Amino acid sequence: MSHEAAQGLPEGILAHHFSSLERQNEAMRLGMWLFLATEILLFAGLFTGYAVYRFQFPLAFAECSRHLEIALGTLNTIVLITSSFTVALAIHFARTDRRRAAVICLVLTIGFALAFLGIKAVEYTAHFHERSLPGKYYAFEGVKILGAAMFFTMYFLMTGLHGVHVVAGMSVLSWLLWRTLQGRYSSRYYTGLEMGGLYWHLVDLVWIFLYPLLYLI
Amino acid sequence: MAESATQHQHETHDQHSAVPYVVVWIALLVFTAVTYLTGIQHLGKWALAIALAIACTKSALVALIFMHLRESSGATRLVFVTSLVFVALLLFFTVSDVATRFTLATPAGAPFGTERSQPEGLLEHEMPAEE
Repeated sequence: MSHEAAQGLPEGILAHHFSSLERQNEAMRLGMWLFLATEILLFAGLFTGYAVYRFQFPLAFAECSRHLEIALGTLNTIVLITSSFTVALAIHFARTDRRRAAVICLVLTIGFALAFLGIKAVEYTAHFHERSLPGKYYAFEGVKILGAAMFFTMYFLMTGLHGVHVVAGMSVLSWLLWRTLQGRYSSRYYTGLEMGGLYWHLVDLVWIFLYPLLYLI
Repeated sequence: MAESATQHQHETHDQHSAVPYVVVWIALLVFTAVTYLTGIQHLGKWALAIALAIACTKSALVALIFMHLRESSGATRLVFVTSLVFVALLLFFTVSDVATRFTLATPAGAPFGTERSQPEGLLEHEMPAEE
């Protein structure tokens, strides 16, 4: 059975302990979703911390939120949503054997990831200049309400951890781009690319919640 | 089993369409615009509920269409839903505790405020009302 399923596949795609490619793909999907579940719980801890401190300092959170650059936050939301779209398209093109289009979409996605990080860097630079920093480093003249430093502690923790995920996702996508260029993904096999896409969508999912909670209080 | 697997791959190859992705992308942009427009109004106590409702809708679209959860197996969906259940448990009990108890004391000099900009170390209720 495994021999039949493996026919016509690039060498080494079907591991010997799976009876068919379908089962192997399903195991990969399940494993990836388990990993994503742990990622969701990791961010949930930060969201809970955010909820507690927002309850404790509602005034400071609202006031600090209004000193963030809403335009840049909104632009980053659009950039990330579009990157999620292009990575979904990349998988679609790979599974319909249009490798060139898949490569273009992956390059676009990595470009959007870089744009996101660039915009975030502009925001962080402004925070460092006006000293709207976490904890005891907070010395922002714009908001002098008790709890303001706590808002920026949560802001830097949440956007920082998200930023780390953007960098990780970008690395994974670059590796997948290389493998797509080698012609490893096609209608016969595209699960590896699909898993990388899932990770990137998770990065988008987290930002979908971060954007209103940080920028639009 | 093996034959059905290969057949399945070929079927999806012929029938798979990119149209849902385009629709979801446009929907996500529209929802982002709605979040932005309602967010900048500062609608008081409804603001958070509206923002979270829109964010949940956007996430559902991403998970179901972009992440293919709509066409995934039951086990995969179960993993995702279980993680959401635990997030809900964590948030629900923590928030209901914080929301129903007395306001926690914030000692002067705690790293929540700022020593430099607030030498008096005023508590929140002692601060001049904003707006």
